[in-house]
Amino acid sequence: MRNFFGTATAVGLLWCMPAIAQAQSEVIVWVAGEPGQTTIYDELAEAFNASQSDATITVVKNSSDLFNPALIPALSAGEGPDLFTFGTGPGQPAALIAGGLVADLTDAYREHGWADTIPEGIIVQTSSDGKLWAFGNEVETTGMFYNQAIFDEAGVSVPTTWAEMEAVVSALQAAGYDTPIGLAAADKWPVSHWQSMMFGRYAGPEGIENVLFGDGEWTDAPFVAASAKLQQMGQAGWFGPTPVAIGYGELMDSFWAGDVPMTFTGPWVIGGGIQATGDRISDYSVFAVPPFEEGQAIHPTNSIGSGWYVREGSEVKEHAIAFLNSMFLETEGRVALLNAGTIPVGPLEDALAQADLSPLAQDIWKTSDDHAGNGTVPAFLDTITPGGLTTVSYDGLQGLLLNVMTPEEFTAEMQSAWAEAKEAGEIMLPGGIADE
Amino acid sequence: MLLDPNSRLAQRLNPILFLLPALSIYVVFAIYPTVSVIEYSFTDWDGISPERSYIGLENYRKMFSDRVFWEAFRNTFVWSGVILVINVGLGLVIAAMLARVWKARLLIQTCIVLPVVISPMAVATIWRWMYQPNGVINQLLDGIGLGALARPWLGDPSVVLYALAFAHSWSTIGLSVIIFLAGLQAVDEDLYEASRVDGATPLQQFRYVTMPALRPVTAVVFILTLTQSFKVFDIVWATTQGGPIRFSEILSTYMYKRGALENDYGYGSAIGVALLVIVSIATIIYLRLQNRKDQ
Repeated sequence: MRNFFGTATAVGLLWCMPAIAQAQSEVIVWVAGEPGQTTIYDELAEAFNASQSDATITVVKNSSDLFNPALIPALSAGEGPDLFTFGTGPGQPAALIAGGLVADLTDAYREHGWADTIPEGIIVQTSSDGKLWAFGNEVETTGMFYNQAIFDEAGVSVPTTWAEMEAVVSALQAAGYDTPIGLAAADKWPVSHWQSMMFGRYAGPEGIENVLFGDGEWTDAPFVAASAKLQQMGQAGWFGPTPVAIGYGELMDSFWAGDVPMTFTGPWVIGGGIQATGDRISDYSVFAVPPFEEGQAIHPTNSIGSGWYVREGSEVKEHAIAFLNSMFLETEGRVALLNAGTIPVGPLEDALAQADLSPLAQDIWKTSDDHAGNGTVPAFLDTITPGGLTTVSYDGLQGLLLNVMTPEEFTAEMQSAWAEAKEAGEIMLPGGIADE
Repeated sequence: MLLDPNSRLAQRLNPILFLLPALSIYVVFAIYPTVSVIEYSFTDWDGISPERSYIGLENYRKMFSDRVFWEAFRNTFVWSGVILVINVGLGLVIAAMLARVWKARLLIQTCIVLPVVISPMAVATIWRWMYQPNGVINQLLDGIGLGALARPWLGDPSVVLYALAFAHSWSTIGLSVIIFLAGLQAVDEDLYEASRVDGATPLQQFRYVTMPALRPVTAVVFILTLTQSFKVFDIVWATTQGGPIRFSEILSTYMYKRGALENDYGYGSAIGVALLVIVSIATIIYLRLQNRKDQ
């Protein structure tokens, strides 16, 4: 009997040897997002794992609030994920790059022909000193989501001028909707969507770039005017009696329940909306907020919400890059992303032909495309500016809505935080990849 | 060669060996981080870079001239004041009343103590919903004809801090009540008997018998509540993140924002040290009161 067990153990060990010798490299991927909301990356990892024999992708999700506070100490300790999402633009990644915590992706950019997929405008936001630091992966936009059934009931149609917009809001208020446009200002970041769009409308793409990469200031007249307009809308009750007491989750529940006629948000809500409304989803559509002033152009908001970074100390960089390629360069990955409501960067023709986009998703992208010729502006200033400025902006936007801060005070506080960040070297220089 | 267990050296080493596991954990998870935070507070570390420079007292100089720090400082004191009034004042009254209740006492006691075991994040979620403009608090006020008092509790700068302090007290007052109840059980029943013979009303008994007898226990509850209230973070962060604007910003949330969100760990650490000093002063007072009680 003893011999039997001894032999069985030896055979078992020999059986395991090839498997041990061919152990797969594990690539740890951190994704910011609430549980259940970023399942697409699990699916993409599963597909990648099935196609690979030498690497396994493990996706770890962390809520948006806790993502950076968990990521930064992990990276600083020389640990953390091999591949992760993080903010882009001039503000947020500067410290990561300066600290040598993220890998230079320039060689991968050249080797895998990323230039064919990633537009130049996104390269600018993800590179500095001639090197590429992040794969700017997906495009985000924002628009005014509205409930067509409520519009029909109130006898109003989609506004194309500011006067019509005012008329729509008045009609909805008269019809008993005390919150014509839902705004979840308790969570602060949703107000930043309005701020980004309105700053872009009033200053134009050049005005925004002049501040981000030039010598423009947040106290310049267009930003003060945009802040004043937002405050006026708040005072006129457009966002309801108490926007700063409303959280994003509660607002979206009310919106999909048909209690709030409009809200300004992005395509990431569509999946939840389909789940919440079922067939009623056909009641919902999107329009571009009309120009706020005479002669103002509509600049669609267009941002990369975040980019993908590879940890400098990672021992599985090539596998991490292979996973990026499978998600964003290969048609299957791009189709899967599109079906999940995520728009990958680069030409979409092939993927769109195979994708099954919801009508609401098509609406928001059509709305964006219709005005793209005017030039686009960032959808999320809060993700591309330094943390100090984001805090001041969030607090100040609530201050505007509560009418305890003037537009001049708000923009002055923003400029002060921006200047402080610039002085501390927290702002990246304009990007672009150096020639070989 | 093994040490003789009866030797003087072995007898001296024994207690140290028994203490060593707990002491190691305490050093690694309490002492070392505390010393590190004090060290970081003298640096310009951003929490990311491998290098950091020592900048002396610069972070403290910045802190003393930082308007937001003083707003958070003031809010922290208001916050603690409200919690002290509720947890100590109301806690004592509830305990005194419970001590006289025999029927359903266990049930009432359980109801009061139950929130203590709920996680702070769950408490925050519960109260965030209850404080909604159309939440149960406002519905209740409407229902009893006090609709004029209904308001957006977490969106109104004038009440948000008090509303959150109340929610925090709801989840912690049970501990105060338990401590007071334990103290009440030690009060000599003869004192009540004598006061009754002297014609004292229940209110007079509370004022002249219960309160003086519970003075040492009250000191304990006072200091415990004070130190705990200064350290609170979860409920504020999970409900308002210090807003609207900064009307519910307390030192712990401000420290987190500056340190973890704005990557200014040096400055965040300085705020942490300030908090440590305040809590330490409170603890010293507590220990002195304890010593006086022991003597």
